[in-house]
Amino acid sequence: MADNKLSGFLAMIRRPSAKYSLLSLLVVGFFSGIFFWGGFNTGMEATNTLEFCISCHEMRDNVYQEYKKTIHYTNRTGVRAICSDCHVPKDWTHKMIRKIQASKEVWGKITGIIDTPEKFEAHRLQLAENEWARMKANDSRECRNCHTFDAMDVEKQKLRGSKMHKIGIAEKKTCIDCHKGIAHKKPKGMKEEEDE
Amino acid sequence: MNKSIVSAAVAGVLFALGSHAAIAAPDWSKVPKRDVHVFHAGVTPIEWATKKSDHSGTAGMKKGETCVGCHEEKGSLNFNFKRLADKELEPKGAPKTMSFPVSVQAAYDAANLYIRLTFKAPAGGADKGDKDNEVKATVLFADAKVPQADQYGCWQTCHADARTMPGADDKKTKYTKEGAYELIQWASKGNKVSDGSVGGERKMSGGAAGAKAQAEKSGDSYTVTFTRKNPGEGKAVPFGVAIHADHSHGRFHHVSLGYKLGIGADGDIKATKQ
Repeated sequence: MADNKLSGFLAMIRRPSAKYSLLSLLVVGFFSGIFFWGGFNTGMEATNTLEFCISCHEMRDNVYQEYKKTIHYTNRTGVRAICSDCHVPKDWTHKMIRKIQASKEVWGKITGIIDTPEKFEAHRLQLAENEWARMKANDSRECRNCHTFDAMDVEKQKLRGSKMHKIGIAEKKTCIDCHKGIAHKKPKGMKEEEDE
Repeated sequence: MNKSIVSAAVAGVLFALGSHAAIAAPDWSKVPKRDVHVFHAGVTPIEWATKKSDHSGTAGMKKGETCVGCHEEKGSLNFNFKRLADKELEPKGAPKTMSFPVSVQAAYDAANLYIRLTFKAPAGGADKGDKDNEVKATVLFADAKVPQADQYGCWQTCHADARTMPGADDKKTKYTKEGAYELIQWASKGNKVSDGSVGGERKMSGGAAGAKAQAEKSGDSYTVTFTRKNPGEGKAVPFGVAIHADHSHGRFHHVSLGYKLGIGADGDIKATKQ
């Protein structure tokens, strides 16, 4: 009985419409597309806001408090980089891939893997290493959304940064090779990387 | 009578000569001053400075860059003093003044090298471990066997397991792994001079520099003049300064980065020939 109903429904949606004009179908389809696509993207963008990220106490009580003390939160120019600026790719394809990967974090939230400061500290190194590996693999793409060697005038930098950036450019280093722990505390027990 | 007059005259001449020898110090008004900034370095021993995850400048150090080459800028130091004073790098608490200038003058003659330090020792220290001495001034000279002494300065003597470092043995002094430093120190109590060394351990006596020191305090400004044997004309000796201000001891000093002292040779600080 149920099988009959399902096959009847499938047959109906496959059958050309005798009731609605092609124009009506196209118009309805067009606006429905905008509605659903727009809704999907709006929903996805909502998960890119600072407010969304710190709506979980795991982020709000740990990494957010550390980030608030750094130059990416407050600085003389008034430009702020929020969580997603560094941790979520800007372009759609990479963003979708990252969002799908991030769905694992929902499971982490449900199981409470880092729901106390002690648990967070116990996982800090692993969490940081995951993110460093991601940034290293994509040539610090999210850093480079704002900072590029092309636009960087190393002569205007402090001496220590200037000298190190010259080495970095010459050796084709990527931002995360040196700039670890700039927005959050450096984890204890970091492994020492060999210079390539 | 005549004999006694002659004796007195001879004694007078000898005394005058002796006094002249004792104050054969250079005419400091003709010796250029070089301001060297000393700073509270917190817990940043050589192990910290050479560890990439702690100090990203290790990439430059591996290429032969000196501490001064990156960190001395516009006549001052470009450190992130907030970071150095933070409890992670200074668990005991940082002094109120993180950095201050020491004016260094150097001169030499055939026999001696003279170094004159002028500075205002700040109050507001976080450590008062030396009850006896309000102020101590120390200069270190590396020998040729200390690896990369011209790059790292006194940091080759500064280790994470030396006394006053967190969790370190209180009896373990500063030390080098290779080579040695001559250590000359003036301490304010009784104008005491120590002629020592830092090798396998730090010794406050037994040094071969023949060190002497004179100090004056004028207002809140100290002038300490060290006289030591000339290490040799034509040499550029790795050299560093440390000031223990406000009764501080051990690592709670303000230290300079490593400088090259040129004795008739090129250097960050050039000694003036007398």
